[in-house]
Amino acid sequence: MEVFQLVKKAKKGNKEALLQLIMKEKDVYYKLAFTYMGNQHDAMDAMEEMIVRLYESVHQLKKDEAFYSWSKTILVNSCKTMLKKRKRLVLVEELNHQMENEHNHLAEDPYKHSEQQIDIQQLLLHVNEHQKEAIQLKYFHDLDYQTIADMTNVSIGTVKSRIFQGLKKLKAHFGGEGDE
Amino acid sequence: MNNIEKKLAEEKKRLDLVTAPQELEARLRRALNTSKPKRRNRFFTLGKLAAVALFFMMLVGYNFNAFAYYGKKLLGFDEVISGTLNDLNEKGMGQMIGKKIMLQDGTEFTIDGLMTDANQLILYYTLLNPNGIEEMANFDFRLEKITGFLTYSQVSSGVSSMNAAGTEIKGTMHFDPVSPFARKLTIHIWEPSLNGQGTESSLSFPYNPNKAMQTQIKQSIKKTVNVDKGYIKFQSLTATPTATVIEGTLDVENFDRLPLGLHGIQLIANGEEIEILGSGVKSAIRGSKFYIQFDRLPEQLESLELYVSEFIGYQKLDEMIVIGSEHVDPYILNGKELWITNISRTSKNVEITISTDHDVMLHGVSIGNANEQTSLLTTVNQTMVEQENGRITKERTLLFDLMVEPEFLLVEGMHYIKRYNKIIEIPVN
Repeated sequence: MEVFQLVKKAKKGNKEALLQLIMKEKDVYYKLAFTYMGNQHDAMDAMEEMIVRLYESVHQLKKDEAFYSWSKTILVNSCKTMLKKRKRLVLVEELNHQMENEHNHLAEDPYKHSEQQIDIQQLLLHVNEHQKEAIQLKYFHDLDYQTIADMTNVSIGTVKSRIFQGLKKLKAHFGGEGDE
Repeated sequence: MNNIEKKLAEEKKRLDLVTAPQELEARLRRALNTSKPKRRNRFFTLGKLAAVALFFMMLVGYNFNAFAYYGKKLLGFDEVISGTLNDLNEKGMGQMIGKKIMLQDGTEFTIDGLMTDANQLILYYTLLNPNGIEEMANFDFRLEKITGFLTYSQVSSGVSSMNAAGTEIKGTMHFDPVSPFARKLTIHIWEPSLNGQGTESSLSFPYNPNKAMQTQIKQSIKKTVNVDKGYIKFQSLTATPTATVIEGTLDVENFDRLPLGLHGIQLIANGEEIEILGSGVKSAIRGSKFYIQFDRLPEQLESLELYVSEFIGYQKLDEMIVIGSEHVDPYILNGKELWITNISRTSKNVEITISTDHDVMLHGVSIGNANEQTSLLTTVNQTMVEQENGRITKERTLLFDLMVEPEFLLVEGMHYIKRYNKIIEIPVN
């Protein structure tokens, strides 16, 4: 069924239509959530949170054609809210526990195996959260500046500056290979 | 591509391989099914709507002209309306009425429509008589006034035109604004009757003040300009789609001595003069109330000022003009020329014919000699003469009681049109 018709149905409160809309792009959503949350379990939690929020407010969506960008923004916000909550709750023991858990997960998650992946995540620790977010959205999710600006609720100029400054810092930390 | 970007690109490739887990769909469906739609408080929404509606109703009820009216274009009035009124008619700003009455001579009088705002009521009417209405038009057919609740609105001007066959007249009549509380208006028509007397008939029609056009600016001015013999106090400006009216009071002793009136006062919007359409003065307890009506203001208003360019002035002279001897050149009084063109005597009077600029009126005039003086009796034969150079002069003959031998003419002062060049800025928002 056409996306357009599905959005119309979803706006009238049809749950199945909303679910179909998300499933059409499930990998894109999942990757986005995964980038923020860092593991499968939390990524799916974030998506659950997202679909509930979508269901509650889809009737307010003014431009039907903006469904996907709108819903992705909501996903990003859901992820951030969850991360914030988690940050507040994490105690040392839990952190240890969590790390153990993640070790257990490694076996089933090929993504986690890569040395390379750990490299880039460690590298990204050198930039601030906003810069990291902007770089990830641009380089891992192929999103354009405008979309990133909409999702993170800042101006295009800010997005560009975050990416530029972030890359600059990364280069400095990556070390030594000098000028291009 | 530098190393960082290469690394980021490699990371993306890896991420591209990631797919959503199989169980995602089931989890999402479960999440959806356990969530209930948030109850939307319809009652509150309705309540808000009602409050908004009530607020608007109050606006309409108590605020005249809250809404512009978009009606239909009044047809057939192209010849009698132009400029602003034509524009408004093109935009369909009239209120259609379509009420008819048969006059005594068989002519049908129709009120086609109205345009109303806070400055005036403009009536669009038609007179139709297949047998010809030429006779009647020459007679005194008059639309006298419009009455209604809190309304007694006098006619101020009108334009009409007759078709070639002489069977139809289309016209507009401008009246004072009507009360926003009136729901029914009555027009009073005076028509001559066959016995030579006149008869009044009337025609009532419903009126909807909410269809009046919106007042664009209502601005208090409260600025006074002092003139030689008093002051002019500008009180307010009311700008509507049909006109802009300045109201105020004046107490000027010599205001009516010359026919300039208020037409030397200009309204300048965005640096350009707005055409003056008329003015009026009526006496009030202190001084007089006046209004000046200008055309409507431009839509984009950047600046607005009142420019008191010319107004009546007074100059004290105490001038003694020796008459008797030959005098070819004019006398100069306060920069104005005065010619004595003739002096003659009758058995009772001395007559001195003078000529001045059209805007000069002498004050305190007498003749005399060393022994006695006599004041002006009266002025006769005043005529305006257009000179070859286009200049207009005023000739008149001054009459005095006969004296033995007048040697000089005494002039105390003069009224004239004086340039004041005073500017009052009216703030625009």
